[in-house]
Amino acid sequence: MLKLLKYDLKYMVQNMSVFYILSIFFAVLVRLLNMLEQTVIINILQSIFSGCAIAMCANILINTMMRSWIRFRDSIYKDESYLTHTLPVTKSDIYNSKFLQTLIFFIIGFVIVLLSLFIAYYTKDRWMLIKGLINNMTTGLEFKTMTFVISFMVIVFLEVFNAIQCGFVGIVLGNKCNNGKIGFSVLFGFIAYLISQSVVLFLVFVVGLFNSSIMNLFTNNVLLDATSFKLLLFLSISFYVIAISCMSIICKNELNRGVNVE
Amino acid sequence: MELVEIKHLSKSFDNKEILKDVNISISSGKIVGLLGKNGAGKTTIIKLINDLLTPTSGEILIKGKKVGVESKKIISYLPERTYLNKQMKVSEVISYFKDFYDDFDDNKALKLLEALDLSVDQKLAKMSKGMQEKVQLVLVMSRNADLYILDEPLGGVDPATRDYILDTILSNFNEDASVIISTHLISDIERILDEVIFIDRGQVILQSDADTLRNKEKASIDEIFRRMFRC
Repeated sequence: MLKLLKYDLKYMVQNMSVFYILSIFFAVLVRLLNMLEQTVIINILQSIFSGCAIAMCANILINTMMRSWIRFRDSIYKDESYLTHTLPVTKSDIYNSKFLQTLIFFIIGFVIVLLSLFIAYYTKDRWMLIKGLINNMTTGLEFKTMTFVISFMVIVFLEVFNAIQCGFVGIVLGNKCNNGKIGFSVLFGFIAYLISQSVVLFLVFVVGLFNSSIMNLFTNNVLLDATSFKLLLFLSISFYVIAISCMSIICKNELNRGVNVE
Repeated sequence: MELVEIKHLSKSFDNKEILKDVNISISSGKIVGLLGKNGAGKTTIIKLINDLLTPTSGEILIKGKKVGVESKKIISYLPERTYLNKQMKVSEVISYFKDFYDDFDDNKALKLLEALDLSVDQKLAKMSKGMQEKVQLVLVMSRNADLYILDEPLGGVDPATRDYILDTILSNFNEDASVIISTHLISDIERILDEVIFIDRGQVILQSDADTLRNKEKASIDEIFRRMFRC
């Protein structure tokens, strides 16, 4: 499996490194321009490069997602699959390699985005402002600032990773059809995503039946108390981990049952 | 034990039966021609042996074992299409094969590439389709496999290159190994065949020793094929 992962990572490095470099490059330009005396032209250039840096950050996350899906489809169902499926490795290894490749590059993407934002926009004043805002939010929720930030990032990360997994499920199920594979892949992926989100909502509702504070989310505009917020956070993280694991099992089972390559 | 045993193999797509109760047995040390018209089911059989398709019913045994990791270790397969990652250089593809196949002989691959004037530093994306196919043939024939499966290795290739390909095949597999060649260009490969399997509309209609068939019918395999499949 590690051999497969090595080549999958190599593929992603070849395709993603240019975006990482550009993102940091524009972030550095924004920072450098910020250090110069501010004139109209400098301000205009700063706005342009700032836009480029933000666009690159968004691009990194979107591209990681798209590349992961394309790589998954190409190596398992397109021409490259003639090599992938004739390698002396199990179907589970093939899947695990793609899963880890996506996970690793998503983490790298996240880190590069944060690094770019830090390079471009960090100032002591801004940091204090953000810290103050988060402190205001967390005081009522009895959270340490860092715990809150990390929890929030974990949730966002799991949510996006869940969407990627839904895409994998869609591709695997869509390619079981003999016709309209692309259309069915998109459809099944979308259905998988809707199901996963609906189950999260249903789960929160079920918990709400036993916890009036959480039920308030469905019945009025009252904010959650600290204990309920922590419970909700814990439930969300747990559910996403379970959902991602379940989708992995579905994909592996389907692949182990055999493929039908065009 | 036979090298390849295919028992009551059927394959359907939707409700269309592509293969119907196929039974084939191939022993070691043979060059077998899998012959049939376009769309007869040759590639489907090959893809089933290589785990690229899942049988509807029946089973395939390679050295007594079902198709899987162990069978892939001993089968060297050349598909009819270019399947390598085109972003890779030839040298990287050689490393790839060396990483995955214990029986891959990289020195042999380098010698064959040199003989074909193919640079190892060249990216596959920069090569013509014909050159990419040659690289694939080199990679496949540089393995010391027990079974080589070549799907239409002569398709779309000029006659001079066809001879080169056949010579490469003949001079690069050990005597205990078997080769399955699927093609409809029978006259080109007739001289190297030990056995022939005729496929028509998803069924095996003949499996015979090539010499026995020639003597019995007093004609070349190509003529026999033309006679049997006349439209």
